[in-house]
Amino acid sequence: MRIFVRTIFDKTFTVTTYLVVLMIIALLVIILGPMLSRGLSAVIFKDTIEFRKMQFALFNRGVESRILQETKETNAFRQKIYQTIDKFKQGIDTEALTEKARKIYREFGQQLRYKELPPEQFTILRTQAKEIRDKLETAFASQDKSEIASCINNVLQYRDDQEFKDTATEGFFKLALEFKNSVEKTDLSKHYLYVKSLQELESLIIELLGPRPDEPLPSTAMNQFGSTRWDIAQRIRDKILWTEQWVEHKPNESLIKIKTLRAEQFAGTDIEPLFGYIKDNIEQILKPRAKFYWQYFIDDSTPGHYFGGVGPEILGTLLLTVISMLFAVPIGIIAAAYLTECSSENLIIKIIRMCINTLAGVPSIVFGLFGLSFFVLFFLPLLGFPSKPCILAASLTLAILTLPVMIRASEEAIRSVPETYKEASLALGAGKFKTFMKVTMPAALPGILTGIILSLSRVAGETAPVLFTGAVALGPMPSSIFHSTRTLSYGSYDMAVGDRIAMMVPHNQYGMVAVLVMLILCLNIMAIVVRSRMFRKLHGH
Amino acid sequence: MKEEDKNMQQSALNTEKSRNMKIIRIERKQTPTPKSLDSDCSNCAVISSDDFSFYYGSRMGVKNITMDIYPCSVTAIIGPSGCGKSTFLRSINRMNDLIPHIRTEGTLKVDGQDIYDNRINLISLRQQIGMVFQKPNPFPKSIFDNVAYGPRLQGIRNSEDLQDVVEQCLRSAAIWDEVKDDLKKSALALSGGQQQRLCIARALATKPRVILMDEPCSALDPLATGKIEDLMEQLKTSYTIIIVTHNMQQAARVSERTAFFCLGELIEYDLTSKIFGNPANKQTEDYITGRFG
Repeated sequence: MRIFVRTIFDKTFTVTTYLVVLMIIALLVIILGPMLSRGLSAVIFKDTIEFRKMQFALFNRGVESRILQETKETNAFRQKIYQTIDKFKQGIDTEALTEKARKIYREFGQQLRYKELPPEQFTILRTQAKEIRDKLETAFASQDKSEIASCINNVLQYRDDQEFKDTATEGFFKLALEFKNSVEKTDLSKHYLYVKSLQELESLIIELLGPRPDEPLPSTAMNQFGSTRWDIAQRIRDKILWTEQWVEHKPNESLIKIKTLRAEQFAGTDIEPLFGYIKDNIEQILKPRAKFYWQYFIDDSTPGHYFGGVGPEILGTLLLTVISMLFAVPIGIIAAAYLTECSSENLIIKIIRMCINTLAGVPSIVFGLFGLSFFVLFFLPLLGFPSKPCILAASLTLAILTLPVMIRASEEAIRSVPETYKEASLALGAGKFKTFMKVTMPAALPGILTGIILSLSRVAGETAPVLFTGAVALGPMPSSIFHSTRTLSYGSYDMAVGDRIAMMVPHNQYGMVAVLVMLILCLNIMAIVVRSRMFRKLHGH
Repeated sequence: MKEEDKNMQQSALNTEKSRNMKIIRIERKQTPTPKSLDSDCSNCAVISSDDFSFYYGSRMGVKNITMDIYPCSVTAIIGPSGCGKSTFLRSINRMNDLIPHIRTEGTLKVDGQDIYDNRINLISLRQQIGMVFQKPNPFPKSIFDNVAYGPRLQGIRNSEDLQDVVEQCLRSAAIWDEVKDDLKKSALALSGGQQQRLCIARALATKPRVILMDEPCSALDPLATGKIEDLMEQLKTSYTIIIVTHNMQQAARVSERTAFFCLGELIEYDLTSKIFGNPANKQTEDYITGRFG
């Protein structure tokens, strides 16, 4: 009976350990899975013609003739959108119409001067043109359809006048006719609303399609292209088709979101069918295509993470990690050697060890401020370098941050080397230093590597220490260790708090975090492989 | 000893000499030819201990040891646990220096030089007096690197010279035939007996005059023990061996002289045949016959 109970306990123990391991794996998958899949969408996604244009313009990739061909095809579909809007605008945007009328009047005045007419005729024509202009302005400003109609008809009387033939005034009649047509269909009382809705619609269409082909390119690269990704394009399409409003459903309850068709705002106008057109032809307008954007890992981002990849971030993170390890590893090992080999257990050693343990628990932002005040403001000027945040200062700060981890791991590793190895070495006539270098160090190396792995992971992911000492959100590829650099951790932090870009390109933020995780994973796997090979070599199996 | 080996040692010593002139070193003497077991060779003792006492802090390790150890023979030290055998053995190459707060009294001379003189060079002392430990403790390196460790410390860098030394030492330690094909293999992959013989080979590689063995067979099976004992038999023609053992049959088998320690004191020291056949002291007799305590 007792044996039976013991067996049960043993089996329960085994099963529990298996369960716990499974749980850990499941947790990892739950935590990392969504992040990695979102991050992956920075690399594998559906691009649009705008993406291909952007790649060609900014990174010089792609076949020019093909892109031009595609642009031509999409422009054919886009043209209808622009035309519809322009036509509707004629009846709505009265300020622009007024401005146009005034311009025509000025032009006509100049034309008259060149004609060398007798002064009386000049005055008459001038007065007539002025009259036409004033009538048009009255019509544009009016809310009353009958008033508009009479004004327009007044204007159109002059149409057949011989004196106005082939002059700028023809523009007056064109304006008048177009306005008449558009006014017939629109509800003038809604005039103000239309202006507002149209502005919104136009800005959304620019977001979707980029600037119009006939307009000059905006100066910032961000505004030169429409939606480069199909998922974002779909989101903007939905924003075009639907408007969202937060309304109070019941008193003392949270607001609810109501979606209404944007077409309702333009009910009965020329714009109304446009929404159906965009919905049906969005694929012809943007030409989505599956894309594996591996250059994400090497591309610079232009500007502000909106387009491009995380090349500088990866390089910066690697540089910071490697340089900080160059400082932390030797200092850590020497300190550990002192603590284990060269000193007996006395008060000073106890104080040093307590300090190291305390340092390991200090928040990283404290190290960041220390780095700023010591390395950037004091140490670099002391050596004659400019006192500004740079890779060197950031690496040194990170090295100090990770020293406690490094020292403790190395200390444990050195302590775990059997005393007999040291005895054997000393008995063969080796000194303390030779014994440490030739016997203790090689035997402790796998353990020290574990410390390096822990430090690497910590250093690569730290944000706060580099905040003041060397990280920037935007900037060129680092060219020397006296320049500041971008890092993955600081980049994603900056996107989260810095501006609205993170909301516009969430895939990029997840991409950065996923790359960081993968980077740390790769470094760890590398270190683990090296460690196991070293272990095998030492122990011969 | 071969001619080339002597040259090698000489060159190694010369480099050491030029490095540190002030330090007194144990000079290597021509290994004397084996003499008879008669007591008239007392003037040629390699190690002579005169009223030597050793303290760990205030605790006594060994007290008033006076004994001479003769070259080219095996001297066994026997006695119950905690009697100071190992302490005495480890005093001879000053391995006890690793322990803090130690203190000695009296003198312990190697070749007439007091080794507890402050100016003594520990490195050259330990190269003269090799040591084999209770548990086989090869370094976690290849077999070759284990044996080449000592010669490399002495400044031999030439790979052919190293090869020669390693082969010679492994042959002397009777393990060459077992490992000659994979010298690159990790020493930790060897069996316990092989590891111990490798440790002996490693100790031989520094060309010592004296080899201290601290219970070298206690972790080995009888077969491996037999091999080590045969090895000692061969080695004693050119080395002075001091062995600490709990196995009295072993002491009787391999040694010329035996010292019996008890409670930190040397009770009796004489030819082995006399100790085991006709001990002068009652305590010795009790211990040997198993009536002790």
